[in-house]
Amino acid sequence: MGWLIDLLPLTYTESVVLIGATILGVTAGVLGAFAVLRERSLLGDALSHAALPGVAIAFIVTGAKDASSLAVGAAIACLAGAVLMVAIERTRRLPPDAAIGVVLAGFFSLGIVLLTYLANFNNANQAGLDTYLFGQAAGLLERDLVVMGALCVASLAAVTLAFKPLKVTLFDRDFAGAAGLPVRALELAMTVLLVVAVVVGIRTVGAILMVALLIVPTVVARQLAHRLSRVLVLAGVAGGAVGATGALLSQSSGLPTGPVIVLVGFALATAAVLLAPGRGVAWRARRLLRDRRRALTESVLVDLETALHAGPPPTAQELTLASGRSPREVAKALRDLDRAGMLARDGEHVRLSEPGAAAAHALLERRRLWSLWLEHGWQLELPDAREPDPTDVRASLGDDDAERLVELADAAEARGAR
Amino acid sequence: MSDDLTIVLTALLVATACGLLGPFLVLRRQALMSDAVSHAVLPGIVLVFVLFGTRAPLPVILGAALFAVICVLAIDAFRASGLVRSDAAIGLVFPTLFALGVIGIDSFASGAHIDLDATIYGEIAFAPFRTAELFGVEIARSIPIVGAVALVNLALVVALWKELKVTTFDPEFARTSGFSPRLLSRLLVLAVATTAVVSFESVGAILVVTLLIVPAAAARMLTDRLAPMVLLTVAIGWVAAIGGHRTALALDASIAGAMGLVAAACFALALLLAPRYGVIARLAQRQRQRRRVARELGPAG
Repeated sequence: MGWLIDLLPLTYTESVVLIGATILGVTAGVLGAFAVLRERSLLGDALSHAALPGVAIAFIVTGAKDASSLAVGAAIACLAGAVLMVAIERTRRLPPDAAIGVVLAGFFSLGIVLLTYLANFNNANQAGLDTYLFGQAAGLLERDLVVMGALCVASLAAVTLAFKPLKVTLFDRDFAGAAGLPVRALELAMTVLLVVAVVVGIRTVGAILMVALLIVPTVVARQLAHRLSRVLVLAGVAGGAVGATGALLSQSSGLPTGPVIVLVGFALATAAVLLAPGRGVAWRARRLLRDRRRALTESVLVDLETALHAGPPPTAQELTLASGRSPREVAKALRDLDRAGMLARDGEHVRLSEPGAAAAHALLERRRLWSLWLEHGWQLELPDAREPDPTDVRASLGDDDAERLVELADAAEARGAR
Repeated sequence: MSDDLTIVLTALLVATACGLLGPFLVLRRQALMSDAVSHAVLPGIVLVFVLFGTRAPLPVILGAALFAVICVLAIDAFRASGLVRSDAAIGLVFPTLFALGVIGIDSFASGAHIDLDATIYGEIAFAPFRTAELFGVEIARSIPIVGAVALVNLALVVALWKELKVTTFDPEFARTSGFSPRLLSRLLVLAVATTAVVSFESVGAILVVTLLIVPAAAARMLTDRLAPMVLLTVAIGWVAAIGGHRTALALDASIAGAMGLVAAACFALALLLAPRYGVIARLAQRQRQRRRVARELGPAG
């Protein structure tokens, strides 16, 4: 790690914190995905509270505030909490969130009792054990980085090696069992991986803020990708980026590292939920507006075509009356049509230009094909059972079947006439 | 009134207030809402301190309530987008608000001894020392405050019993018969947030969260019916309050922690020994079944 620290144009402590936060972000991002996708996002919440009695017991046993023994104690307590949670869930009487809540409250209460009990022995040494849970990025040492890096690499390697079985267990537990996979062992493995991430994270950003760090990367990645492999990679990248950005921002602003990392993460997650291409809230709103506008324009185009059929070119006012829409809507649609070069104006009166007439005919033809499909489509022998796109039946069915649809309709009409 | 009596009475009232709401939270899969709210109120408390320089109960409760509402609304907004599941929405929002609070303390109030565990979040051991005049009698402040909350919750649950029940077990049916599950869900979360915020100040966050979740979970192991479940929840809460106080005296440890521990012990007993759904009952049943199958197959196989 030494070379990396020398490489960065930062002070020694700043480099250590930056590297630590990045490693933590990557680890939490990838491993958190397994909790979030199983709808156990708050598992991290319970695990990080469950660490408290572990820390206290480790202190009682070793009698020292040595970081690594405290971490081992925290890890054992986390594991016990996780196993208990699974046992509670398996009674099928309580939903997962209640199991998480019970473990969280029970273990944390135990931790408080142990810590206050310890305080009686007037052993001043134990003071500050509870701050372990609030995390202190500035307290990171180069040695910690090596351990964190090793844990990160090991857990990522485990995920890569067991990718397929993990994926099957994650998405279809019953199928995984039927296919002969050791489902329980795999679920335990996912939980153990999560414990690793939590124990690593508690020291750096603190227990509560760790909860967000496990969730944010997956929420972001899920907005951008649909395949598990890509979600995992993206979550790792997003987590690393959040960790690094947060560390740098906290150094330049002088604010505590953990909270700044969480705020950066929240901003990123919110941005992803709002803006992600194709899925984001803003994106969907824009598409909805566009679709509405197009529907409006098309319907005014058809109204105009109908009016032109019936009589002389109407004025905008007459068209409004005929279409039963508000004057504003009609004006907006006419503006759109004008811009597309589909209108020809005679003073107040509007007519369709050459391309406008063609567009209107194409539109009416498409609508007619859809009603023909609804009426006669059942007689077509199609290779699959897919429903055609209502706005463009011809393109979905192919020219041959579209022609056949018209023939069927003509035949039916002829029969009706006879 | 003796100090011990005040503490136990306060704890009994909190256990009642929480026990009335807890079963609905557990059954509706909203148990962790209480934990989320308990962390999310921190910036409100800090904001009140920074702006007005006070830690008096009323402004603190108002500031905390403001952020509890922000927390609930933000979680709802994420959920309403349909892009984030409810558990992930909770996990995104409350650590962020908590982080804001920590930054606030770090920047503005680090010299002011805002101590996360005790001063802000309350500590039940201090309840007897914070007194107020009520009808000319000096009484611990926490008792009327928490008592009022318990009464309001009781009124809410009694008045809306049918509505709460139907929206909890069958939201679709509730919708078609004219109850709005959304409205009741909002109301319940609001009641939980109010209970949590008001009680934090008197007894501390962790005890409130514990009493909202753990007794209800234990009662769920013991019964299938809603009314007995609510009564059992309150009763287990009372056991935790009294037993916890005793334990804390014996060990000379944190009272809130000991009450939580006794509640957890009650849950562990229920988990193991519940007559129908407990672990041991299930094991015995499986054993019986296995033996029956072996007997019936015996001669043939």
